[in-house]
Amino acid sequence: MLIKVVNGAQKLGRVPNSLASIVTALCLTLSISAFSQDSLPQLDLNLPLRLDFSGSWEKDFRRSDNWEDELSRTLRIRQESATRQQSSPGSSRGRSALPISIGNVNLPRSRGRGANIVDLARLAEYISRNSVIDIIQTRDEISIQRNGEATLICGVEYKMQQIFANEHGIEVCAWEGQQLVFQITLPDDLIIMHRFTVSSNQLVLNILTSIFSKGGEPFNLIQAFNKYEAPRDEFSCIQTLSRGQVCSQAGTDLSTVLDDF
Amino acid sequence: MLVLPLLTACALALPELKPAPIPLERPLNLVGDVNLAQTVQAPPESALIEIGVQVFGTAQKKEGEYKIGDWVFDEIIQKETQFLPHLLKNTLVASNQWGAIRVIPERDPSLDLIVEGQIIQSDGETLELQIRAIDSSGREWLNRTYADQSIQEEYPESTRFTLENTFDAINFVDPFQDIYNRIANDLVAVSIRLGEQTLVDLNLVTDMLYASDLSPDTFSGSIIKNEDGLLLVDTLPSLDDPMMARVADMKYRHHLFIDTVDEYYQTLYDDIQPAYVLWRRYSIDQISEIETSRQEAGRSDYGGSSGFLSLSQRYDRFKWSKIFEREFSDLAAGFNNELAPAFLELNSQVHGLTGTMEQQYREWRGILRRIFELENGEITPDVTE
Repeated sequence: MLIKVVNGAQKLGRVPNSLASIVTALCLTLSISAFSQDSLPQLDLNLPLRLDFSGSWEKDFRRSDNWEDELSRTLRIRQESATRQQSSPGSSRGRSALPISIGNVNLPRSRGRGANIVDLARLAEYISRNSVIDIIQTRDEISIQRNGEATLICGVEYKMQQIFANEHGIEVCAWEGQQLVFQITLPDDLIIMHRFTVSSNQLVLNILTSIFSKGGEPFNLIQAFNKYEAPRDEFSCIQTLSRGQVCSQAGTDLSTVLDDF
Repeated sequence: MLVLPLLTACALALPELKPAPIPLERPLNLVGDVNLAQTVQAPPESALIEIGVQVFGTAQKKEGEYKIGDWVFDEIIQKETQFLPHLLKNTLVASNQWGAIRVIPERDPSLDLIVEGQIIQSDGETLELQIRAIDSSGREWLNRTYADQSIQEEYPESTRFTLENTFDAINFVDPFQDIYNRIANDLVAVSIRLGEQTLVDLNLVTDMLYASDLSPDTFSGSIIKNEDGLLLVDTLPSLDDPMMARVADMKYRHHLFIDTVDEYYQTLYDDIQPAYVLWRRYSIDQISEIETSRQEAGRSDYGGSSGFLSLSQRYDRFKWSKIFEREFSDLAAGFNNELAPAFLELNSQVHGLTGTMEQQYREWRGILRRIFELENGEITPDVTE
């Protein structure tokens, strides 16, 4: 319908521009009102619009952090910072000393009894081993599926949402601008944070994983993912309780499959 | 290209991690072990009470009590509202103390006693129901909560059925049978207290109420309210009154219909019982697993250790508890998927009527009323159309 309107406007090329624009505007108004009469789903303006994270993503190892390199870099920065502090007169007084590394191991903890940076780095690597991610996003919810990991689910609302809580930890999520943030608080003040960002062309996904222990400096690990076209499933399946997964060739109505049992 | 706004991670303002969020313990009105009061000799026919067990309702959750994914479990409770009444009905039938007992989708003026229920809590371990029974005269027989708890031993091995190990429906006793026994016994206690004459009078009230439902102009004057607010029959038509004969005929047809509706609920229950029992079995397993996990968490001492092993253990415990809950959610969704065809079948049963069973029931009552008007010459514009 919109194409017709454009063509109509082109045919009016010989009439004065002002008249053509009036006619075009009129046609557009009519076409918009025709659209509004269609049974299009209404946009719920109370729900914010979010960038589209959906799709299948595979890790781009070249652009992702290597955890050992990142650990070495972090240690080097800390060492340089400590050296600077030691060399500037009076700087150590009244301040808790920043950690000083001796090689790459046996570092003092960053603060109090928090975990040391090497253990945080190893944990960051441990929870970031997934090389493939599937994201399903609807108008209300986003679901991030990773093999061997619990699915991360968040609504699209403005407010912070508590997703899961038990004696082993609390998971909350929130949107900060167009970034999606999950934060998992584990016993003994161990915090894991995943910050998801997608490029405007929706081809690159970045995840910043930060691990904090007892409020100390975090260890950060960035992973980059590229979108790929996952092969279409040959079968569509539905979960049932007593028969497990009931599958049929894609395109078959599964309710008839269930009936046949 | 992506301009990466990867800010230095700063933690969200969070609630503190508290010790195990143990659900608030509500005192449950547990029924204990209850034997069903059965009789060999049923009461005399004039004092037989016809009972309708109405499809149950559910307790509404408050706003803010919902979490992502809760709808799956709400859907299960919605399904339970349609087949738990059937278990109560079977228990009442087994007691042999009553007239016809049927599961009905809505209140029915042709029945002497209506039992309404609301599911307050239902999982593999606990069932709590709010039950109210009210007779056609408006007298309240029961209005209280009943609760029962099951143990894993009440789920026999056949509830973990496979192709080789099939579910033994005939010998299966519902783990919450005590609740239904207690309700049935309480109803019998009320009927004994009321006495035979009151029950005979109740039958008359029901007849006149049904007549009045069919033709309010003709019959509504024959019922009055006493000082206690209970309905009484004020004037009775003569035994050979042709209008009453037609009312009796309509009532007979109506009961044929609600008998059929009741059979559909029976079929629904037969269809879904194995999956439902399996679901409850999973549910009690899950509750037991959560309890074990909570106890383990109570014993864990992370305080002194912050090495990688301790950190990864903390993460894994959280991860697996979340995965486990998610799987349970998936099972719940699978249960709903499995039941969907049976409910579709239920709602497409009555030929010529459309909509859910409740809508079909309403449609049928409307048809009967119009037939009655036609037969009595009280043609309404609706009928002439």
